[in-house]
Amino acid sequence: MWPFGKRREEQIAEDRDLFDEEFQRRLESLAIVARRTVDGKTRAERRSKKTGSGIEFADHREYAPGDDFRFVDWKLYGRAGRLLVRLFEEEEDLSVYVLLDVSASMTLGTPRKIDHAKRLAAALAYVSLAGLDRVSLSTFSDRITSRLPPLRGKARVFRVFDFLRRAELERATDLAAAMRQFVASNKRRGVVLLISDLYDPKGFESGIDVLRYARFEPRVLHLVDPRDAAPALHGDVVLVDRETGERRDVTITESVLARYRAAHARYRERIQSFCGEKNVPLVEVPTDQAWDQAVLALLRRGGVVG
Amino acid sequence: MSGLALAGISETAALTTLLGFGLAVLALYFLKLRRRPVEVPFVHLFLEVLATERSSRLFANLRRVLSLLLALLFVALVTGALADPRPTGSEGSGRILVLALDASASMQATDVPGGRMEAARAEARQLVRSLGATDRAIVVELTDRARPLSSLTSSRADLDAAIDAATARDVGADLAEAARFARDVASGSQHAELVLISDGGVARVEEARSILDDANIAARQISIGVGAGNVAITALAVRRYPLDASRNEVLLEVLDAGEADEDVEVELLGDGETVDVQHLRVPAGGRVRRFFAGLTGVDEALEARLRRADGSHDALAVDDRFYARVPERRRARVALVSEDDVYLQAALLLDEYLDVFEVAPADFPPSREYDVAILDRFVPSTPLDHDAIYLSPAPAEGVTGPLEVAGTIERPFFDVLRRDHPLLRHAAIADVNIARALLVRAQPDDVVVAGDRRGPLIVAGTRGSSRFVALTFDVRESDLPLRAAFPVLLLNAIDSFAETDAAYRGSVLTGTSVTLALPAGATTATLDGVRLAVRDGRASVRFERAGFHTLETDVGDQIVAANLEADGEADLSPVSLDLGVELGTPADEIVASAPAASAGLAPWQWLALLALTLLLVEWFTFHRRWTV
Repeated sequence: MWPFGKRREEQIAEDRDLFDEEFQRRLESLAIVARRTVDGKTRAERRSKKTGSGIEFADHREYAPGDDFRFVDWKLYGRAGRLLVRLFEEEEDLSVYVLLDVSASMTLGTPRKIDHAKRLAAALAYVSLAGLDRVSLSTFSDRITSRLPPLRGKARVFRVFDFLRRAELERATDLAAAMRQFVASNKRRGVVLLISDLYDPKGFESGIDVLRYARFEPRVLHLVDPRDAAPALHGDVVLVDRETGERRDVTITESVLARYRAAHARYRERIQSFCGEKNVPLVEVPTDQAWDQAVLALLRRGGVVG
Repeated sequence: MSGLALAGISETAALTTLLGFGLAVLALYFLKLRRRPVEVPFVHLFLEVLATERSSRLFANLRRVLSLLLALLFVALVTGALADPRPTGSEGSGRILVLALDASASMQATDVPGGRMEAARAEARQLVRSLGATDRAIVVELTDRARPLSSLTSSRADLDAAIDAATARDVGADLAEAARFARDVASGSQHAELVLISDGGVARVEEARSILDDANIAARQISIGVGAGNVAITALAVRRYPLDASRNEVLLEVLDAGEADEDVEVELLGDGETVDVQHLRVPAGGRVRRFFAGLTGVDEALEARLRRADGSHDALAVDDRFYARVPERRRARVALVSEDDVYLQAALLLDEYLDVFEVAPADFPPSREYDVAILDRFVPSTPLDHDAIYLSPAPAEGVTGPLEVAGTIERPFFDVLRRDHPLLRHAAIADVNIARALLVRAQPDDVVVAGDRRGPLIVAGTRGSSRFVALTFDVRESDLPLRAAFPVLLLNAIDSFAETDAAYRGSVLTGTSVTLALPAGATTATLDGVRLAVRDGRASVRFERAGFHTLETDVGDQIVAANLEADGEADLSPVSLDLGVELGTPADEIVASAPAASAGLAPWQWLALLALTLLLVEWFTFHRRWTV
């Protein structure tokens, strides 16, 4: 059985509708708009800080045995008598990692956060592929649950769709553990687009820090369901945590709801504050906002794929 | 000691209700504690909140208990309202109330909306609602007798049902009957009251007051009606003409009981078909009599209907109709005992409704049945058991006749005549010449209809069970057979026998017991579907509805006309009766002690109001999330 009551085939069929023709048409137009938006500022062809076999001069260094004689700067040797080799900046395409939270908490909401997140992931992947970036997708909960190897070119977007459709939903969230697993298995640094509701009992901070410490460039897309902030609850209820199954008897009154709303707001402020301090671009994505509008908003702010 | 008693559901029912609904509330309360599971994405945010909420859990539990208590209190209040507790006053102070609803004909008047009877029912219901818990009442339908419609009870449902069953009838009302009834019901009680709900048109008020006074029973009247103009038919008489039984003469009397002159239209219906219509103007408070002569087309039943000339009806419909049965046209069988007396034969031929057969004196008595015998100069040797007309009744030797003969009177004259006697109706005999007559001696009970100073000439009387009319002279020795008076006299005599037939009644009055003579040979009788007791060919009946009623017997049916005695019911002006309220427990005190609706709310109403308030409080606190 597929987790949470649905058979896997049913879920896949449902997810097929996520990426229907209408979605793809909007994706194409989004890619065009995205290119205009980032053109001249954030081309996909990035200049790597690595020196290597590029054509643009970067620096000199002392010749060492084994260096290619073709890069010895003979003119400088003639003027200064030092045997130096020319270094060139190595041009390499940017690696974009899309990390999608598939924990159980993502299955709540109307529309479900996971549906919104999958479309968002697909759109961001497509925009990146269109920019000739290397795009890799991974899903995670308390670990990396699946991974799509790096892809290039827009034509590969269908593999992205297929991967997202087959993404299995898991239970609990452990962002730090999942990120540790991610950095361990991805040596090539790049931009990490972290799409999650950031509901982690152990705290979301350590997970983002793992990425930072491993010199990845995390961008956080925080999915926010407005009903999470203001649940329509009243009376005597048993609150059941979707991920952990933890139960708690609660009598919801107006004052409890008010305190909850305040707590939720504080939680969001905590995320914003953390990302601001760590210079981690953060975009809140309400689930009641159209997914393409959200992507465009992100691009205009230039903080996600820039 | 004063306290509360339950006037609604019984104590057992109240306890059962309280227990049942209380348990149901408890069950619902525990069901309510079963919390609804709700999935949330991140319960830890709630835990932050609940860390401060724990401190108020005790108060939350208290509120939950408060909610349960409110629910139980609500059940108790509703049960209390259903039980309808009422102050009992002092011990033994339970009152007895006799609610007498006037059901006389005048209560059918429509001068108040819905009619007087409905207004009386409404007043009675109001009284029942104001009864105290230990008070008991009985509903009586008052006509010329007091008919209880309920038992003496405190059950409002039973009393209301009895009040609903009260119906106005076509009879008068006798207050003395109600007083006697109240006296019997209130026997032994110190707190009894007769409440008469009436328009005041009742009989024997003084006698009633005396009875109530003796029995120490308080009494008062709740007056019904506002008064209205009313025209009534008070009399209708019909008879056939003696010599032409196919025609009738009718006498009608109309009364205007109102305060204005009335133009009315009277319609006569013979056997259901209109036979005459006349317009009358009746002065206010006056009577008009109208004679209808030679009315044909009426063979069995005559009905008079009255309405205003403009086609409208007055406030009381029941006295706008009057009913009468027309005398039966039975062929009288006449045995003519004579030696070929052609004068007699000719005279009897004038009435087609006579079945005459001749018998020679030697052959008397005849083998055929007969009703009347005409004995011409013949006196049978044994007394007759039939009505008879004697002509010169000189008995033979050793035979006793109807009259003792003492000799003869020469050239007698009609010196004495009782012109008002039915025998002499339309008969002019004063100058009849007679050669001689028998000198007879009449018995004290006999009636000398005509006579000479020396002795009677025409005598009417009874011998045994038979009646007779005797002409003491031989008609052939007079010029009477040559006069028109001769057949008239004979037919009057025959009619007098027939018309005094006890079986004939033009109509009977409602509210009175009458004995009806049944057709000969009848052994069973049914009137309007009710079987009557038959004794000696007669049955006693009492009508409460005016109209034609069918008396069914095993030998044939017979129509009986019953009429309201309209004189006492036609006046629709309400009358306030002085019934002596000051006696016994004053009525005002009784009313004051009862929780009247106008004086404030009854306990059950307070309880219901409290329950409603409680509901509102619960609703408000629930929606303010104070009690959830």
